[in-house]
Formats: sequence, structure tokens, C-alpha cells
Amino acid sequence: MTANAPGTVALMQGNEAIVRGAVEAGINFAASYPGSPSSQVLGMLGKIARERGFYAEWSANEVCALQACTGASLANGRALCVVKQNGLLCVADALHCAAQAGVKGGLVIVSSDDPSAHSSTNEFDSRWQAMSAGIPLLEPTTMQEAKDMIPYAFELSEQTGQMVLVRVTTRVCHGRGNVVLGPLPEKPRALERVKEWDRMVCVCYMHGPALQKLEELRRRFEQSPYNHYEGPEAPEKLIIAGGTGRLYGQEALRRLGREKETGFLSLGTLWPLPENYILKYLRTAKEVLILEEVDPFLEQAVQALAGREGLRIKFLGRASNAALPQVGELDPDVVTSAIARLTGAALPEKRPSSETELPVREMSFCAGCPHRATFYLLKRAMRQEKHPGVVVGDIGCYFMAGQSAGQYAWQTCNCMGSGVNVAEGLGQLTNYGLDQKVVTMCGDSTFFHSILPGLVNAVYHNANMLLIVLDNSATAMTGFQPHPGTGLTAMGDHVKPMDIPKILEAVGCQVEVADPFDVVEAEKTLRRLLDQPGMNVLIMRQPCATLMTKERSKKPVRVYVDQDVCIGDGCGCDKYCSRVWGCPGNTWDFKKNKALIDPVACVGCGVCAKLCPSGAIKVEGGEEA
Amino acid sequence: MLSTIALDTQVLRPGLCTGCGACQGLCPYWGSVDGRTVFFFDCERPDGRCQRFCPRMPTDLTALQKEFFPEETILPEIGPFRGLYLTRAADESIRAGAQHGGSMTALVELALKEGFIDAAVLTRSQGGLNPEGVLAATEEEVRSCSGSSFQVPPTLAVLNRALKEDRYHHLGVVGTPCKTLAVYKMKANPLPESGSHTENIGMVFGLFCGWGLDWDGLNALAAKHADPARVSHMDIPPSKYHSLELRETGNTVSVNLDEVTPLVRSGCRCCADMTAEFADLSIGGARSADGWDTDKGWNQIIVRSEKGQQLLDLAREQGVLEFKEPMEGGLEKLKKASLGKKRTAVRNLRALTGKAEDLGYLNPSRELFQDL
Repeated sequence: MTANAPGTVALMQGNEAIVRGAVEAGINFAASYPGSPSSQVLGMLGKIARERGFYAEWSANEVCALQACTGASLANGRALCVVKQNGLLCVADALHCAAQAGVKGGLVIVSSDDPSAHSSTNEFDSRWQAMSAGIPLLEPTTMQEAKDMIPYAFELSEQTGQMVLVRVTTRVCHGRGNVVLGPLPEKPRALERVKEWDRMVCVCYMHGPALQKLEELRRRFEQSPYNHYEGPEAPEKLIIAGGTGRLYGQEALRRLGREKETGFLSLGTLWPLPENYILKYLRTAKEVLILEEVDPFLEQAVQALAGREGLRIKFLGRASNAALPQVGELDPDVVTSAIARLTGAALPEKRPSSETELPVREMSFCAGCPHRATFYLLKRAMRQEKHPGVVVGDIGCYFMAGQSAGQYAWQTCNCMGSGVNVAEGLGQLTNYGLDQKVVTMCGDSTFFHSILPGLVNAVYHNANMLLIVLDNSATAMTGFQPHPGTGLTAMGDHVKPMDIPKILEAVGCQVEVADPFDVVEAEKTLRRLLDQPGMNVLIMRQPCATLMTKERSKKPVRVYVDQDVCIGDGCGCDKYCSRVWGCPGNTWDFKKNKALIDPVACVGCGVCAKLCPSGAIKVEGGEEA
Repeated sequence: MLSTIALDTQVLRPGLCTGCGACQGLCPYWGSVDGRTVFFFDCERPDGRCQRFCPRMPTDLTALQKEFFPEETILPEIGPFRGLYLTRAADESIRAGAQHGGSMTALVELALKEGFIDAAVLTRSQGGLNPEGVLAATEEEVRSCSGSSFQVPPTLAVLNRALKEDRYHHLGVVGTPCKTLAVYKMKANPLPESGSHTENIGMVFGLFCGWGLDWDGLNALAAKHADPARVSHMDIPPSKYHSLELRETGNTVSVNLDEVTPLVRSGCRCCADMTAEFADLSIGGARSADGWDTDKGWNQIIVRSEKGQQLLDLAREQGVLEFKEPMEGGLEKLKKASLGKKRTAVRNLRALTGKAEDLGYLNPSRELFQDL
């Protein structure tokens, strides 16, 4: 990643290519909050930051990250902010203000979108934020572009005094490809003292200059090396592609044998549109297919352009003539059928990939995950209420609690940090006739990310509710990035960790701590807090099972089923361990119709032994979690 | 139907549950909170003891009576009948802590002493609020359960656990009519492969019952009129007094019955059994024609089985119980009261189902009730 070997070809993942691009750009500053699919970027930057003389941090949230980057820019530093789609929406205010204020040192935001929401709750399209804020938007398709576009974006940013948004998608982040390395700068860009009359201010009169910057960028994009055209001089059938759709499209055109007569316009600069460059091919086109991920962003922009120019074109795309699905990511199949429709080529017969269908599996908590115990206890507590309570979810691994993994725990879940606020609303209504207990939850990383203001609001307004803090000492969902509660930084420094109970008490919550694996005591504590008016917080403390396994800090116990005692699916059990508790470590011996522990999956938390109605699950040796 | 769904839809949601605990103590799915029966998770078994034992799931009462009692002893109004007696405990210390005459405490102690039973599943209310089920193996433990309660706790959960443990082989059970019906449904052993050890049920002692009260409601009522922690005894004098008496460290507070009747558990309004017809012996307070004061402090006992008769005879022989001449017309009065409860149950069940011919859980024994 830090080898100064220009011209060397390296096999790189997209996220690695972005890191290499940042190093080649000589960044001074990087900040991020973890979010799939781009979580690895800052993790890698943190590891090489000292060597390359820049600063990197896992910020408490994306707003902190972007605003810190604008600070670095004011001192002429090159600053890279890495977020995922939801993170970019989080920073919308900061983004729009900074876009009007402009930048001094280059400021690049990499925003990763997750079409089909493989590791997200939703598939949003970051590109609208570029249009809305009025900033330039780049989108790489190959790993090479992912690397090259970072220094290019920094150059653009400094030349035009505007920040640049680089949008990537899951397949770009996680795909691998050859990358020809560029030279590394000797040292990062030189910082400059902030002068008395330097100004980066968001005020209304900056709107005009911001729009002028956009026009300047449009002119530059007309010449950008990241836009290509292949095909006839005056195409009648035209494909316009931005992002991963380009590779699928090129492959499909070759397969269908229509690459000669079909125009293929690949765009790497998506906003502002290089209008003249596009019009050159659009003017002759009768039918145009747009390939892009998530929303019809390009499609609408190109349609507006065609309309303005009075062109009569039939459009095919996500929003036009049902040529592509409106939701979910593109794949070679859907793109091939759309191109077959555009070109009139026959669709090749599709061979079924497999005779047997794979079973559908729900996402679940890992074996030994403390969240499973927490949500098991929460369901028990809710069912014991006279009127079962209302549970509000939040974002983290515990999002899965809405499914069988968490006993279908919650009725609503919005964005990260929303739980405490949604619950506050419901909690206020308990004084106005809503006779239900209100519960919400957050992880320790989410707590620092966006729970704190909601906490202050709920305490100040004396809402009747319970917040469960799932303290597993990790940002587990995205890969164990440090957060302010962990005592670690992205650059590996040990710092004083934030004390969640102290913060909660200082704010004025009634706080108790419980161990979810101590099921009897934890349930008592939970029920006691549910009965208490006001703002209550229960910290469910037990380290993430994956963290335990990673650290191998304790010798795991051996958990096994005494099948002579197990009553299997008989009355009095009905597969309580594998069906209700549902840990991947609790499986089923179909030959004997008895319970079984999978020793490979089991991490030895021993909770199932406490729950078995027959006492058939035994725990032996080692130290319990 | 899947067991938790069956009980939820046919018993809990229609408000028929009595809170007896017959479905509990068997598995991790069922439990009880403040007299409310709850299920923590869904069980997907198509059949199970919870629904087989429940006294509010459809039951063929005639067949069940014939299985355990000679047909010729069965009276349509009050069930199996071998005799009606008026008794009280000879031991004054038992009577001091009793609801009426202390006959139940004296008989259970005797049964334990003489080996009729080796332990007893009882309800301990300590005279006050929020009673609980207990397993009593000594006379002292039995004595601590003197006095009755107006709330029904899930005592049969204790029975289920004791049966599973298989430590005692002649368990006595004292309970209200809903509980004793459930116990006889257990004795019929509908799912033998479940290993319930229901053969360990030794003797069943029934309690006369008009109704039980909603736990939260009674606690709120008690708090309104007294200090709930200090309530040591509750009773309802004959109907002309129209009151509930709360005794609070010596003082008796009289609460108008109009405040109490709305708190009657909905499941009790559909109960057709006043005298605990499924039992070896059934015991209640005495209500003679002469009124409250004449028989205050005495019990009436219906002997229903041979074993019940043996125990009562032994109590007379050993002087454990004092006997009084049964009141004139007492049996007829009892029958009339019992029929009155049956009529109310049928009326309420018809209102619940919305059909005259649909008596809900009593449908399998419809011919016993349809003409009431």
C-alpha cells in the first residue's frame, strides 16, 4: 500500500485502491465512521497514517468526520472523508453548508452505496446529494479508476475550490482487479497557517459563486479522461453507463454481438453532466438505455437534457419502459436482457445455475452473541406485561432482533440513533392514555454516534421509557472498529475510554447494569426498570462473542447435550434450545430426534444450559463467558 | 392446534382463564404474573398437556365423572355425593387462623399423618393478598396455609412440578373447582408418553367457590380501603350484608359489594361448578337458614368418594373434627345455590359465543346444561 513503485501492477480490492489513491494524493487528514461496504478504507489508512505522515481517525459519527475534514482543508490540508450512503445523509447539513463555503485544501468525500442493501437496511443513492449540494460527482467502475480518481478528485477540488464526491458501490469496494500504481509524493501536502482574513463561510451570497464553480467543473468534465465513447460515429442505439453497469453492459454487448452498431458512452463524471460530450452522441440516437446503480439519476438528467434540446428519444432504464428493475443492484442477466431489448438481439438461453435450490436462511446473531440473550429476556419481559409493550429498534447488529434471531423484538426501526427519539415520542404519550411500556435499544457505538442528543431530550422532558444499551465493547457489525468507549484509536493509540454509565448518570438517567448471560438476575432487573417511571437505562454488558473468540482470552468451556436426559421435541420442550433460543451452536440430531451442540459453532457461553427445561445441556471445564 | 395458539385463542383471549396453573410448571413456555397466565414464546406442538389439562378447554364432564365416581352417587346439581356434614376443627388453634371452621386444615393434616397422602399442594394466602402455591410435607407447613383467598394463584404449577419430580407418590391437592377439575383431567392421563406421573395424585380436596377476583383490581381496592401489606383476612358475609370484609390488624373494614363485583375474574363468570364436583371431599363455609351467626365458624363438607368417607370417619373417630347436626334443608339450599351458578355460567357462555346452542368449553357436556 505504501510501496513507491510506479508502474507496478498490483491486484487490489476497490477499498484498497481508494487507500492507495489517497496515499498517492498525499493526504494530510482522513476521517470516517464505519459503514459497509467501505469500512475497510479508514481501517487501512489508520495503520499507515504514521508512516505516511497524515492523521486518521474513526470519528464518533459522520458529521464529526466531515466537519473535521473541512477544518483540515482550511489549513490547506488534503482531507478525505469516508462514509456510506446513510452516513452521507447524516451529514447533509454539513455537506450543503460546506459546499457553499468552498474549500481551500482539497476535500474529497468517498460515499459507498450498497445496492440491494447486502449489508445495509436500505439502498439509497448518494448521487442526489451531489446534485442537491451542487458539488462535483465522480464514479469509478474499475479498481484502476477507484485509485486514479482519488488524486484526480483532490486536484479538481483544489483547482475549483469545491469539495468532490466520489460515489462507489459494493461491487467496486469489494471487487478485485489489477491496478497500475502511481508515484508516491515525498511528503504530504504542506499545511498553511490559517490567515486572519481567510474565510470559509456558508452565507447566502456564496450561492452564486458555488454555482459558477459548478459551471467551471462542467467545462472541465467535457474533457475528462474518465468519460469514454465506443461505437459508431452517429449511433441510433446508445447505451449510457455510469458505475458497475458499464462492465455488465460491455460484456453483454460482446455476448450479443452488437458492439459494432451500438454506441456505448461510459461516464465517470456524473455531475455536473458533460452536456456537450453527451449531446454529441445523443443527437442521433433513437433509443437510449441507461445503466446505473439504484436510482434513475443519470436517466432523469439525460432525459432533461434531451428534452431541453428537443430530441425525440425512446429511453430504456430503471424508470423508463420497465427495461430494468426499479430496485436492487444490476447484474449481468438483467443488463443482458435490457440490451437485447435495445438492440433487438435474441436473448441467449439461460442455463439454470443449480438443480437444487439453496434453503432460505434468515440472518441471525452469532453463536454466543449476548444480544440473543438480551432479546430473549426482553420478549419474556414484554409478554409478562399486562399490555405487551412497544419496542423501538435501532441500527447495529441488533437490527436483526426484528427477525426470529431476536424473537421479533421490535415494531419499528428508523435510522441510526432514531430509537431513543421514537421511544421518547411514545414515552410522552404514556401520560396521555397510552398504557404500554416503551423500550428502545442502542449499541455502544451507536450510543456515541447519535444517541446522546436524544438522551438529553428524553431526560429533560421526563419521558417514561427504557433504553437498553447493548454494551458489547465493539462496533461489531462493521468489523470491530474502535469507538470512544473502547480506549483505542484508528492509529492504534491507547486513550482514556468514555464511561457510558457515568455519562448516563451525569445526564440524569436511572442506570443499572446487568449481564444478559445471567438470565435470572437480568430479567429481574429488566422488569424492575420497566416498572419505574422516567428515563431508565439498562446496560446489558457482555463482550461480543466474536471479540472473545478473536482474543482467545478465556479457555472456552465444553457444552454438550446428554441425550439420555434430553426430551427432544416432546411435550415440555418442543426443541426449546434450537427452535426458540435459536443459537447456531444448538442444532438437531435428526437420527435420534434429540438436541445436539455443534462444537465448531459453540463458543461456550453456556446460556442454553441455563434454559434447557430438562437440564440435559451440560457445561464442562474452562471458564464461563 | 398449536398449543400456545390453542390456549391463547380459546381460553386467554375470550377471558376464560381462571389462572389455576394447570398449564404451567410443565415447560418453559407458560408462566403466571400477578394471576395472569402468560406464554413467553410460541410452542409449535400440535398437542400438549397444557391444553389437555386446562379446565377451560372443552371437557366431557359426564365421561370424566363416570371414570372416577360410581354413576349412582352422581347428583345433577352438585355432582358425586355420599353425604353432607357440618363440622369444624376440634383444635382451637386451627380455627383461629381459619376462614370458617378450619375443617380443611384439620383434614389435610390428618391425611398427612395417617398416610392418606405424603405431601399436599396447597395455596398459602396468609389471610391476605397475592397468594401462592406451596408444596407442604409437614403438618406445620399445612397449618401455614390456613385461611382462604379471593384470588386464584397458579397452584397447579406447583403440582405439575411435584409430579415431574416424582418424589411424593400420594400427593394431596386442595383447590377451587377449576383446579380440581384440572386435577381430574390430569388423573385421566391424556398424554401418557409425556411422563407426567399423574398416578402420584393421591387425594383431592375441593373448596366451594363463588368466584375469584382480578389480582390488580383487588390490590387496588384493598389499597383504597386499607394498607394492603397489613390485610390479614377477607370474607364475604351472607348476601343480605352485601359487603366484603377486610381485616386489617384487628380492625374490620366493610367494603360495599358493588365495588367488588366488577373485579370478578371474567373466567369465573363462566364457571359452572360451585361445590368442586371433582374431589374426594369438598368443603365450604356453612350457610344455614338461620343466617350468618348460627353457623359462623362451621364448615359444610360434601363427601364424594370412598376414600373421602374413610378420612372423614377417621376424623370423627380421632376427634379431629367436631360434628354438628346438619341444618334442616341444607342440602336443598346447597343444590339451589349450585344450580344458580350453573345457570349464570350458561347465560354468560351463550353471551360469549353469541349462540344459544354453543356453550363453549361445556359443549361436550351440553346435555347437562342446555335446559338450565
